[in-house]
Amino acid sequence: MQKKINASIDAICRHVIGKQEQVTLAFSCLLANGHLLIEDLPGMGKTTLSHALANVLGLQFSRIQFTSDLLPADMLGVNIFDSNEQAFKFHPGPIFNQLVLADEINRASPKTQSALLEAMEEKQVSLDGQTHSLPSPFFVIGTQNPMHQSGTYPLPESQLDRFLMRIQLGYPDWQAEKLMLSSAQSKTEKALSAVMQLSEFSQAQQAAAQIHSSDAVIDYILRLVTYSRESGKFPNPLSPRASKALLQASRAWAYIHGRDYLVPEDVQAVLPAVAEHRLRSSLTDLHGQGSLSHQLLEAVDPLAA
Amino acid sequence: MLKAARNSSILLLSGCFIALSVSMFTEILSWILILVLCAFVMRLTLYFEWHKSLPKVRTLNLLALLSGLALAWFSFQLGLLLSMVNLLVMASALKLMLLRNQRDFLQLVATQVFLTACGFIFEQSIAYSLFYTAICLLLLLSLAVYFAPGLQWRTLSKKTAIMILQAAPIAVVLFLVLPKLGPLWQMPSQRGTETGLSDTVTPGDIAELSRSAKLAFRATFEGALPQPQERYWRAVVMEHFDGKTWQTHPTRVAARRQYLNANAEFTPDVSGRSYRYQVIAEPTSQRYLFALDVAIPDGSRSNRQIWQDHSYQLFSRDILHSTFVYNVRSFPETALDDTLFSLERRLNLQRPDKGNPRTREWISELRQQFPVDAEFIRAVQRFFVEQDFRYTLQPETMQENPVDQFLFDKQAGFCAHYASAMAYALRLGGIPARMVAGYQGGEVDNDGYISVYQYDAHAWIEAWTEQRGWVRYDPTALVAPNRVMFGLQNVLSEEDSELVGEPLSLARLSAFPLFNQLRLLLADIDYAWSRWFLGFDQQSQRDMLRELLGELSVQRLMWLSVGTLLGIMALLALFFLPRWQRDTRPREVKAYETALMLLSKHGIERTAHIPPETFSKEVSRLCSAGVAATFARLTRLYINTQYRNGSSAVHERDAKTLLSDLRRQLKQQAS
Repeated sequence: MQKKINASIDAICRHVIGKQEQVTLAFSCLLANGHLLIEDLPGMGKTTLSHALANVLGLQFSRIQFTSDLLPADMLGVNIFDSNEQAFKFHPGPIFNQLVLADEINRASPKTQSALLEAMEEKQVSLDGQTHSLPSPFFVIGTQNPMHQSGTYPLPESQLDRFLMRIQLGYPDWQAEKLMLSSAQSKTEKALSAVMQLSEFSQAQQAAAQIHSSDAVIDYILRLVTYSRESGKFPNPLSPRASKALLQASRAWAYIHGRDYLVPEDVQAVLPAVAEHRLRSSLTDLHGQGSLSHQLLEAVDPLAA
Repeated sequence: MLKAARNSSILLLSGCFIALSVSMFTEILSWILILVLCAFVMRLTLYFEWHKSLPKVRTLNLLALLSGLALAWFSFQLGLLLSMVNLLVMASALKLMLLRNQRDFLQLVATQVFLTACGFIFEQSIAYSLFYTAICLLLLLSLAVYFAPGLQWRTLSKKTAIMILQAAPIAVVLFLVLPKLGPLWQMPSQRGTETGLSDTVTPGDIAELSRSAKLAFRATFEGALPQPQERYWRAVVMEHFDGKTWQTHPTRVAARRQYLNANAEFTPDVSGRSYRYQVIAEPTSQRYLFALDVAIPDGSRSNRQIWQDHSYQLFSRDILHSTFVYNVRSFPETALDDTLFSLERRLNLQRPDKGNPRTREWISELRQQFPVDAEFIRAVQRFFVEQDFRYTLQPETMQENPVDQFLFDKQAGFCAHYASAMAYALRLGGIPARMVAGYQGGEVDNDGYISVYQYDAHAWIEAWTEQRGWVRYDPTALVAPNRVMFGLQNVLSEEDSELVGEPLSLARLSAFPLFNQLRLLLADIDYAWSRWFLGFDQQSQRDMLRELLGELSVQRLMWLSVGTLLGIMALLALFFLPRWQRDTRPREVKAYETALMLLSKHGIERTAHIPPETFSKEVSRLCSAGVAATFARLTRLYINTQYRNGSSAVHERDAKTLLSDLRRQLKQQAS
């Protein structure tokens, strides 16, 4: 199983060059059964990454480009009267896929955003009194463009924390980009083939959820969230949902790294991705002081009794 | 490694240290003070980052060696106690230069607290006590700053204050209950040369008698106060005169020692009305005490501590190094002894064979004129009244035949001149006479006690006649009667009063009612301080306990002290118990923490947020392969027990041996 996971990550990395850490984080996000938010400028490989993830795991994939005039129905689907059967028939929208890429999520109206977030949380869609289950597994990868905010609806904090992780891809380094350019023609054409079966992936998910977490590590997580609440340095302290997310994500990270127990390093590795978007008050002050999650990390000793 | 720049706790500690050292400047050698100053300046420059690096350990070792040798050389003159205090200050100064880690810091703080206690050996006045209390508070504050550098000063001060208040009841109980032990060391005795009376008087040598406004003693009376003219406080009797200088007769000193060895104390027969009073004497580094004539010790305790000799002088059995409290009862109507032993007659008629020819001539004429003793004395007194004598604190020096010069040429002087001249005259006339030095007068405060200051020092004489025995005569009173009735201030000319007291002393301003009140208020506070705080000795303690708990046997007293100590220990245990209990963590965890400590001693510090595995990698980058491998194994043990729920029993021996391996390897790496 371990081999399969490593092989999947390697496959994605060959596709999204030079982003080992972000890829691993994204993979562990899915492994922890959480939704992912990718925040970056256009052209950094957000879509490529989503595609690669879907392909490697063999998931049905759809992409919804969010615009200000996108209606919930465009995404969820509609009931249409079928004259043959003399009844309404549900036509599922693009959301009925295992992995949905919600591109530029902040361009859509709040109404559409809430519809998506509700679907993410409930894993089902309610329409005209009928409930339609979404496929399993169901992941949403949302992307946001932190620049060019005019005419957008940034996600409110209460909705941001529906995403387990938020990652930033950033510019590739010199070597990686050179490699990418030189091998551009040959690689992008080739679609990735599935490395893992879906059943294997859900097994891995279950195994990851059972990673042993000792009191020492749980205490560490508690100290982190308590510090964010009591020190007064953070405008938005971490909620219990956040501490739960932190534990889940750490477990997935430990599982990927072939351990059956948690160490503080796991928590530290996922903390920026899990906590940063929860600690910030909104997208707008993203460019303020340094990273809040790093401040939090440095303030708490993993050993202290 | 402690950060030196902008480290307020170290700066505060250095400040306390230099203030403490300066407060003891009379006891500390000057070169050691310079060393202290150097250390302070060094810390100051480090604090403000004018200079970045600490001095090398090797340099300081050399400095320590040299200072140690120098101190050893000086210690022969200093005596044990002073050399020890000097050693402590010197060592602290060197340590301050060296201060590198937490242990140094804590050590230095503890030493400063001890030094503060040493300060009380030398000074116990209220001002010094306040000063030392302040130093103690600042030391505690510096500790607080050290352990919580991020907090605000106000929070820290508040926390410190609360802790001190919590400790205060314990301090009070200890003060009240613990046995008071006497000093175990020899007190330095060179101090006190400028205060108090000396036991020799050479009137002719003194051109200016400047007098200090320091307190000599206080007397608290039960009932009525004595009249101003009765306030002759006897201190020293001088019987030996060589033509210039009066001093205690060596024969008298020898006799005194003999009586003391034979334990045959002189007890005067007393009768008539009496004054009972308690005297709180300031330290004099002498043995003599002060009392009105004729005095006997009052109460069993004073009886034990006080020795009386045949010249009615009172002595303390111990030298007065600190404030001494005693009770006396004086009988002003009792005459001094009227029998004169042959020894006393011999001593009190002794006079030099040569010198002062004019006085000799005058006396032999006068004696022929008045063969009766009483009339002769009256004639001598009349001489002082009829001639144009003047009281001054600035007499001219009289080196050759001082009595002649004083009586016939200058005719101006202060009490010692008059007393010396009259005693000499009477001795020439065959009447036993002696000089008595002590204090006269004193200032009555509202609460019924008399404060006697150094400027109240006085000298008078006693002469013996067959009919009346020893009688006090005060020739100064004949010349300047106000001196006796209203005190020194009233007989001084403008320029004379310049000589009394320190330039800034409040006594100089006693003409202004406001200042006078302030001075009296301060005197009251000081009185309460010495009476209730410094005066709280073994006996007062026992009295208090007896009043509270009834009759006390030695055994019960012992149980009480032991019980108090145990009680306080129990309180402390209550405080520390949670911390002791918490240390039931697995062996591997403790071993790992010890390993961290060892590494930090060798300069490899774990940044607070670095988890074990990552730190182990860091160590392998920084240290030798051996250290890295051992530490990696320790880390693995730690991770297994802390995070993995691994069984610990298997590794029990491992952790210990790994630790000792680590110690050895670190040493190897260091060398």
